[in-house]
Amino acid sequence: MSEAATKGAHEALVVPQAWYSQYLSWLYNMLHGNFGTSTRSGLPVLREVILVTINTIYLTIGSMFVTLLLAIPIALLSARRGMTLFTWPATIFTYVVSALPVFWLGYIVIYISMHQFGLFPLAFGAMSKKFNWIYFLLPVFVLGIGNGTISEVVRYLRDEMERVFAEDYIRTARAKGASIWKHSFKEGFLIPITEIIASKISFILGGAIVVEQVFNWPGMGRMAWQAAQDRDYPLIMAITLMAAIIVRLGSLIQRVVHIIVNPRASQE
Amino acid sequence: MKRYPQYKIKVSSLSDVPFWKKAGAMNLLYVSYGIVIVITVIVSYILGAFESLPFDPQEINLGLMMTPPGSSGHILGTDFMGRDILSRLIIGIQAYFLPGLLSVAIAIIFGTWFGVLAGYWGRGFDTSITYINNLLNSFPRLVLILLMVAAFKPDIYYIMVIIGITNIPVVASLIKGKIQFLKGKFFIEAATALGLKNRVIIFKHILWHNCRSVLIIQATLGMAEAILMETSLSYLGFGVQEPIPSWGNMVQAGANYFMQGKFWPSTAPALAILFTIMGFHLLGDGLNNIFERKQKI
Repeated sequence: MSEAATKGAHEALVVPQAWYSQYLSWLYNMLHGNFGTSTRSGLPVLREVILVTINTIYLTIGSMFVTLLLAIPIALLSARRGMTLFTWPATIFTYVVSALPVFWLGYIVIYISMHQFGLFPLAFGAMSKKFNWIYFLLPVFVLGIGNGTISEVVRYLRDEMERVFAEDYIRTARAKGASIWKHSFKEGFLIPITEIIASKISFILGGAIVVEQVFNWPGMGRMAWQAAQDRDYPLIMAITLMAAIIVRLGSLIQRVVHIIVNPRASQE
Repeated sequence: MKRYPQYKIKVSSLSDVPFWKKAGAMNLLYVSYGIVIVITVIVSYILGAFESLPFDPQEINLGLMMTPPGSSGHILGTDFMGRDILSRLIIGIQAYFLPGLLSVAIAIIFGTWFGVLAGYWGRGFDTSITYINNLLNSFPRLVLILLMVAAFKPDIYYIMVIIGITNIPVVASLIKGKIQFLKGKFFIEAATALGLKNRVIIFKHILWHNCRSVLIIQATLGMAEAILMETSLSYLGFGVQEPIPSWGNMVQAGANYFMQGKFWPSTAPALAILFTIMGFHLLGDGLNNIFERKQKI
């Protein structure tokens, strides 16, 4: 492209030339709620991104529940009973699952659901008539298992639980004959769970990009993929910002839970 | 990279018992599996670099498309263009090996440097590192990389530089925590009183004697993350491009045949990813259990 043509295109799109003034004008518009229009579709970016963000939040929260459902029993059992005939294979299983490439897991699940159950979970948008929960559940299940955080969640929760079980107040509770679970719930369970979730949200969002690609889920990740393919800067900037907002909201919730459980922390 | 809960550790745990006698059988199993995987990867990389492969990875043989494993000399079968899968798997290591090492090196070197600055010298660095840590943690890595892909269409090496940079704060905060704990110890005070240079204290007494294992653990976990990122990106079509094999784009290329019931061309690279990432994770966690966790009070 010749220099004159570049200049003409810049003038046609009403963007300044130097990169810093481009960035500053983007920043100015963004702070005024104007994220620009997508260079591919010509639609305002903000509306599109908010629509797909909701889909991604469903996916992310659902898969988090799947992860926790798998991880919590293993972590609690291995913290309480040590390595037994059940918890040892279960721990190995969490390592295998965490290393599983999530796209391949997606293929397996799609293959099984196609050939065993006769389902074709290929189009999320085409199911408006008869909403089948299985279409919704498959990606959630795949991302929940394959997001690669299960072994870390188990490990972190187990370590924290073991640490709390060794504390003096738990020994006192045990001596009194009170329930250990009840006493260790706040410090050994609630705080570590919220901490590990808050620190893993960004990881799960990253996994969501791949899973959305596999399942054609109309979410943020698929839009980010499309935008990266088309070099659609306004769109991908807005998506990145939205992802950062989700992650920060997660850590805000974590702080709130932490302060509710432990009011001393608000002094910091 | 992972964050481990920080324990107070005993510094003077140097004893005559070698560490493999103190370590549990399970951790030794983890570490030995990890070491086997690392050696396999390195040996395969060297084999690939010297091109001593069973077949030419790029050689298209349309007479032998989608053969199952073990037939006509192809140990792992062939893909949809009749190319030998085993050779492509070995060559696929090149897609992440050097880039991954680069990202690990960046994370470790700069992370250590910033960690020392923050831990040893002061509060200004400390707050700024916490700030940068929060900033970088807010962005999902893959989204950040897609942003970079949209802006620059970068090479895999540049992508790995980005991954390395995003891992710097993790290493920095680990090293910082360790140094702040060690600074209160008598041996550092004694070293200062003896008039040792700061450089000697930092490099020998702090980094070499007390942070070695942390850095090795972070390096293995960083490598696992680099492999994960490279395969995911190549799967999405932004990493290594098709004629050059990468485990990610091999899975992607086999996807259509997977749905027809021909599992092998995408299962073989997927299993390679699975065993390799698991190896690096187990190595890191096992080493962490042996060297860091056992010393907790």
